[in-house]
Amino acid sequence: MEAMSAVSGRRRLVAMVAIGVALLAGAAGASAAEAPSRTEYVTQLESLCEPDAEATQRVMKGARADIRAERLTVAAEKFAAAASIFGGTVREIAVVPRPPADTAKLGKWFGYLKAQESYLRRITAQLQADHAIPAQRLTARFIHNGNLANNTVLAFGFDFCSFKFSRYG
Amino acid sequence: MSARAPAGGAARRALGALAALMLLAGLGAGVAHGERTQHGNLIVALDGGLTPLKLPRDHPAPVAVHLAGGLRTADGELLPRVTRVELGLPKQGVLSSRGLPTCSQRRLRDTTSAKARELCGGALVGSGTLQADVLLPNQDPFTIEADLLAFNGRVEGRRAVILHAAAAKPPTVVVLPFVLRRREGTFGLAMVADLPPTLGPWPHFAHFELTLSRRYTYRGQERSYLSASCPAPPRFTAGFLSFARVGFTLVGGRQVGAGIVRGCRAR
Repeated sequence: MEAMSAVSGRRRLVAMVAIGVALLAGAAGASAAEAPSRTEYVTQLESLCEPDAEATQRVMKGARADIRAERLTVAAEKFAAAASIFGGTVREIAVVPRPPADTAKLGKWFGYLKAQESYLRRITAQLQADHAIPAQRLTARFIHNGNLANNTVLAFGFDFCSFKFSRYG
Repeated sequence: MSARAPAGGAARRALGALAALMLLAGLGAGVAHGERTQHGNLIVALDGGLTPLKLPRDHPAPVAVHLAGGLRTADGELLPRVTRVELGLPKQGVLSSRGLPTCSQRRLRDTTSAKARELCGGALVGSGTLQADVLLPNQDPFTIEADLLAFNGRVEGRRAVILHAAAAKPPTVVVLPFVLRRREGTFGLAMVADLPPTLGPWPHFAHFELTLSRRYTYRGQERSYLSASCPAPPRFTAGFLSFARVGFTLVGGRQVGAGIVRGCRAR
């Protein structure tokens, strides 16, 4: 009985080790599959950003002329639509697995992107409230923050995922 | 007491001026940083701005345009050869050379900066600096630093800015015409320079800084080479515009570029 139990104990140990190794190997395999290279990451993000960047350009068309003609509420609707698209894009790209070596850099970038979305929403609110000067101040910050975001991921060579003032009317 | 009062006043004024400068710097910080883009291994940078920042809403006023930009590689490798440089400025800007003397490329050839000023000072519209990575056969690459002068000129009947770059070490002079062209789109005014292969294998472009500005009198009237307005909407005090773009065409036809957004304040 003792011998039997010693054997079964050894078997159990071997089985546990085997399962552990299999689990570890599985986890390593899964993480290798989930962790893309920078090039793969950029390609994937660009494919997500492209339609939204084009949609932003469409909804923002004429916003500058609206502001010039003091149609601030019309411009506000366009900014609201752009903010909604931008927020959607950020949520979509935030869940894409990131290259492990770029985690810190991308974390910082996503911080700037969240600030961008916030600026768009705040500009919308100020335009809706017919507050020209606060909207103007926020626009300056929005542009500055967009440039900081671009500089953070300069090496990634983003196009559609980068901030471009020309897309906003 | 009486001696102290003015000193106190001067100190206050100085402090006030300093605060105003800091405030301006703070305001400018909104958009006054250089922008960069990366294309593969190449990083294109562009910075610049208008002086003065405060401009009339409804009519152009004299301005100076400052531009700084360049190319570098991310890994420090030698830059590829640039075959064309194009500087785009917004179509709202006014460039006037009426009554301004012109200078030809031929007059500027093989002249020092001082001599170029002496020969063509009347046509001077700007100045700056240029740094370029130089590669000569059988030698280590080195950086050349040159003084830039910009002159009003004409090339094949077209208005042009003739750039004169003169370096002391080693003594080098390059005269490069930037032809002015009208373009469709945001950057309606373009300055285009083709870098001929006769420049040799060495002009691996790196960095430039250039300020374009010239006030002159023509037929008793004050004129400016460059003018601009700040057409901000009535209830706004500032406007934002796509201010400039630099584009480089590399040997092989690849194109890289960067654009900048800047603000102006309405008077």
